[in-house]
Amino acid sequence: MNADMGCAQVRELAPELALGIAEGDERAAALRHLGGCAACRRLVSELSSVGDELLLMAPAAEPPPGFESRVLDRLAEPVGPRGIRLPRRWRWATVAAAAILAAALSGGSVFLATAGDRRLADGYQAVLRQGQGSFFAAAPLQGPQGRAGTVFGYQGQPSWATVTLRPPVPAARRFRVQVLTRDGRYLAAGEADLGGDQAAWGGQLPVGLSAVHELRLLGPDGRTAFTATFDAANPWD
Amino acid sequence: MWNLSDESLLAGLGSGDPDAAATFVRRFQRRVFGLALSVLRDRGAAEEAAQESFVRAWRHASAYDPRRGTVAAWLLTIARNVSINMLPARRFDPVDPEALLAMEAERPSERGAEPRVEDRELLREPLARLPADQRRALVLAVFYGFTAREISELDGVPLGTVKTRIRSAMMRLRSQLRVPDER
Repeated sequence: MNADMGCAQVRELAPELALGIAEGDERAAALRHLGGCAACRRLVSELSSVGDELLLMAPAAEPPPGFESRVLDRLAEPVGPRGIRLPRRWRWATVAAAAILAAALSGGSVFLATAGDRRLADGYQAVLRQGQGSFFAAAPLQGPQGRAGTVFGYQGQPSWATVTLRPPVPAARRFRVQVLTRDGRYLAAGEADLGGDQAAWGGQLPVGLSAVHELRLLGPDGRTAFTATFDAANPWD
Repeated sequence: MWNLSDESLLAGLGSGDPDAAATFVRRFQRRVFGLALSVLRDRGAAEEAAQESFVRAWRHASAYDPRRGTVAAWLLTIARNVSINMLPARRFDPVDPEALLAMEAERPSERGAEPRVEDRELLREPLARLPADQRRALVLAVFYGFTAREISELDGVPLGTVKTRIRSAMMRLRSQLRVPDER
């Protein structure tokens, strides 16, 4: 089962993915598919909710006396270098998210195929934890000649975006950066000098990335020169 | 402090606020310990697992994403995984796992100690209506983390049959659950 999976196969496996019990090559192939298929991701997410509700049905029980203070004593211990093991269900979500990011960053699934998905997931989580961010996203930057680069976004406090141009980089120009929000507002996000020696620009977003529908670069004439569209408020959902 | 939402308490726990940490533990300790006890069937081991679950929740609080589920589900998933990892060599207690769900939940001893109690009832009846073999496969998968292959070996049933049971049960329960649009 090393071949890529189609929607039908992934939907068959979706309950096991959602419960975190899918195994080996099947799981890896399904996660690759999930990285590019919002409909299958949504199904797995819904089935994960079923798993959550089932877990909530477990009976409660009174712990032994002194339990609370023993836990709090442990929380007060200095943090040591212990292994990270995220809950299985959360691992799939993280790995699926990482798969999309990897595809966006590398233009394919090579990155995922050559790295252990747990290591990738842990690395992705570790990066997000540094700033308590929620997710990364990427969108193609489109210009009059077609694709001109990529906009990478980060959902966190604050949210930010980085615009990168790919060769051939046009001559240097100054752009006004504008954000079109999902509720239809146009917000200024500073100015960007791009082109020539400057192939990248980064800046803080005036709203959370999840609220951004488009990021636009406006030329001196006020017209939109480049646009990047973020399809979903959260691409991992 | 007790009136704070689960999410706020978790954020407080993650930032090292001792009051938030104490309230968080108090709010969830019976459910975490109960789940660990259900899986491990040993109070000593269950306490160890429950303690470790809270330590991991504290350490990974920033990884919690409310779009992916409730704090209770996140925490209980941690507790389930910690408990599973403490099961001795994947040997399974011959007691019918359905007993786990048949147990009546204790009444909450403190106000708010059982957040989202109604959720536990949401699937209880649909679960009871499932064929017994589907219910058993589901319980083994959800609470004990058994893979389809492990269930197949445990019960002497073909792998394809187990996969079908899990899938049928999950799809039926999904249709019973009102899934929010935004998660």
